[in-house]
Amino acid sequence: MGRSRLFIALAVLLTCASLPGQAEIKADTSFRFPADKPVKIIVFRPDVKVGSMGVGTVEEPNADWTAAARTKLAAQIDAHQKGGGNEVIFLADQEGENAQVVADYQALFRTVAAAITQHKMAPGAGLPTKKNKFDWTLGPGATKLGEIGGGDYALFVSTHDAYGTAGRKVMQLLFAGMFGGYMPAGIHASYAALVDLKTGNIVWFNVDPASGGDVRTDEGATKRVEQLFTQFPLREGQAAPSAEPAPKK
Amino acid sequence: MKKIMVFLASAALVATPALAYKLVTHGQRVAVAKSAMTIAPPIDWNRQQSRPGRNAEAWTLDGMPLNEVTFYGGIAADQTLFKEVNKKEKPLPRFAAGMLPTDVVQMFEASYRLAGGSALFSVDGVEPATFASNRGFRFRYSFTLEGEEVKRLGEATGAIVGGKLWMITYEAPAIHYFDRNLADYRALVASAQLPGPTVTVG
Amino acid sequence: MSAAAPVAAQIAPITAGYTPVDKDERGFWSEVEELERNIKTSAFVIRDPALNGYVRGTFCRIVGASECAPIRIYIVRTADFNASMYPTGMMIINSGLLLRMRDEAQLAAILGHEFTHYTHRHQIQIFRDVKRKANAAAWLSMIPVGGLAAAAALSVAQLGMAASIFTFSRGMESEADAVSVPLMARAGYDPGQAWRVWEQLRAEQDATAIARNAKSRKDKNGGIFGSHPPTAERLATLKTLAAAQPAGGSDERAAYVAAVRPWWPKLVDDQIKLNDFGGTEFVLGKLAETGWTADLLYARGELYRTRGRPDDLTQAAGFYRSATAMPDTPAEAWRGLGLVELRAGRVVEGQAALANYLKARPDATDRSMIEMMAEEVS
Repeated sequence: MGRSRLFIALAVLLTCASLPGQAEIKADTSFRFPADKPVKIIVFRPDVKVGSMGVGTVEEPNADWTAAARTKLAAQIDAHQKGGGNEVIFLADQEGENAQVVADYQALFRTVAAAITQHKMAPGAGLPTKKNKFDWTLGPGATKLGEIGGGDYALFVSTHDAYGTAGRKVMQLLFAGMFGGYMPAGIHASYAALVDLKTGNIVWFNVDPASGGDVRTDEGATKRVEQLFTQFPLREGQAAPSAEPAPKK
Repeated sequence: MKKIMVFLASAALVATPALAYKLVTHGQRVAVAKSAMTIAPPIDWNRQQSRPGRNAEAWTLDGMPLNEVTFYGGIAADQTLFKEVNKKEKPLPRFAAGMLPTDVVQMFEASYRLAGGSALFSVDGVEPATFASNRGFRFRYSFTLEGEEVKRLGEATGAIVGGKLWMITYEAPAIHYFDRNLADYRALVASAQLPGPTVTVG
Repeated sequence: MSAAAPVAAQIAPITAGYTPVDKDERGFWSEVEELERNIKTSAFVIRDPALNGYVRGTFCRIVGASECAPIRIYIVRTADFNASMYPTGMMIINSGLLLRMRDEAQLAAILGHEFTHYTHRHQIQIFRDVKRKANAAAWLSMIPVGGLAAAAALSVAQLGMAASIFTFSRGMESEADAVSVPLMARAGYDPGQAWRVWEQLRAEQDATAIARNAKSRKDKNGGIFGSHPPTAERLATLKTLAAAQPAGGSDERAAYVAAVRPWWPKLVDDQIKLNDFGGTEFVLGKLAETGWTADLLYARGELYRTRGRPDDLTQAAGFYRSATAMPDTPAEAWRGLGLVELRAGRVVEGQAALANYLKARPDATDRSMIEMMAEEVS
């Protein structure tokens, strides 16, 4: 048992958060939604956490901000997908056996996401056998999720924001001034993934370690969703938008 | 309280350097776990450069959390299976030359429970098996790590030869992954060789 | 580490239907609610209705039906001794706690104590305290230090602060004890079990340390010892509190033993596999104060066999033999006996014992291995 594994799941988002980096999109580039039938995407309850961070790096959760962000992000995801011609279904809380199936797959998804983040996004930890491949999967048993949720695809979204307090911002300046060190103002990390429920394959995966958009506001949530869904899969025959990178914050 | 503690604990982990992996090319016999044990993999694997223990080595196909094969290359008396996690408060059990196969299973289980901090570990079957032309054992196990909630299945095959423990283990999530790569693991076990006169263990 | 702890009396106790108003408390609640969501489907939760019903019944008896109703109790499969109560009304009990309690009154003592931390909203006070101290620690680390001595002094101060972060203050512990001991008496439990439970837990820490040749961590260990240090002073106060209650009260030992019995083999197995010889030997000895049962003898045999020093194996054989001589011996005692006999080279005795095991457990998961080992040595 690799001792590494025990920590990976925890460290994933934090690792992203610690590097002032760029969004990284990994995808099965050959994947397209079928052109001839409606696309139904089940959205699993997004992991949303919004809080503040004081000078001591103790994160303080904020219930109002988290609730607002959850609502606003859901509305924006819905609007964004509708714009692309897709129908989204927000998965309701399940009971009994279905609740267990959903929880089991969510746990597996987090583990696969941890593997992708570790081996595709972290520098120096790439797997030689998967150099030019993106073939991670939840396995064909994921069709069960489609039956439970009534869709053909699953979307997993996670956002984590911690806004620096005024004290922290002062500290940040001092840190840079006295030691030339870098201290992040807060945490603004998010990721999203699309799973094809016929195969269980993860066909699109985007990690954004320095997400833009203040998720506590409507405009911010719009910006966050637009950035996070950059290069979201298209339908067969649909032309890709201009190759210019999406504007960053 | 728990989440705050997790947060504080993980702040330290961010600084950990990324773990590097090297290619293990199929069709070539390689020595594993800095030991005399050799393996001829039929497919390519990725070898983790940092070792789980002095006499251990880990390979994966899709990443350690998704499929992991660990080689234990001659664990000697009074050694732990892998590196101590918390020697002071959770010391790992140590191998002893006089151990029976059932004692090895027990040592393996306790090591996992301690290193993984989890009581959800069970041995699902123990049987005699041949390992690198020696009489040995095979056992299956299942476990779940706290905070992760992914149920994993595992299989181990090994033998005590010359007073040392030689063993190869495989583990992967119960959903999809374990069954998918079980044959790949068994092919590695089938190719395992130990040099010198075969010692029958009793 | 009670310095600078908030004064418990500053905050109003929880009332029926309480929902938090302050920003930080609401944030704290939303985190805990998220945690509870995950716990509901966790593989670690023991869902056995009988065991849950029993623990809940004990809790309701000590706090009263109306106070009990909104509380959710989750028993989790974790061998370490711990219990925790969250501000939202979620309580988590480790299975390792159930192994260590000698009777229902002891369980009630822990449940009542945790419940008081909840009713008096101690957790949010600690949360606020943590925030303040962590911020102070960060500011401290900014002070440029000259020389190693100054650096050492600084880090000691910071460590002290870190250690105190998750500890209930002495005032909070006193409050929880002062409220819960009379609750025990009111519910008809022997209030003296409150100090006994903490005393035996302190002694277990010593036993663990002695066997490991280490310093006892009874005053600073993690889990419930980190958050509720059972100091000698606290024990004295608990004794005084119990003495002030009217005489009488039962320990309900028989009911407790019966309720935990179906889970006992798993609980003791989890404990033995912790590789904590001293602590486990102490726990077994404590449970055996009223006599060594077949279960306890078997467990002790497993403990000695697992450590596996030469004289351990001899001792283990003795415990297994005593267990197998009893009418209610677990079949696994024959397995343990057979294995130690084989290791000692007493082949015939070993084979006979293993045969007894396989006769009692024809579908044992290790059957073919056991059969092979019994044959091979002959």
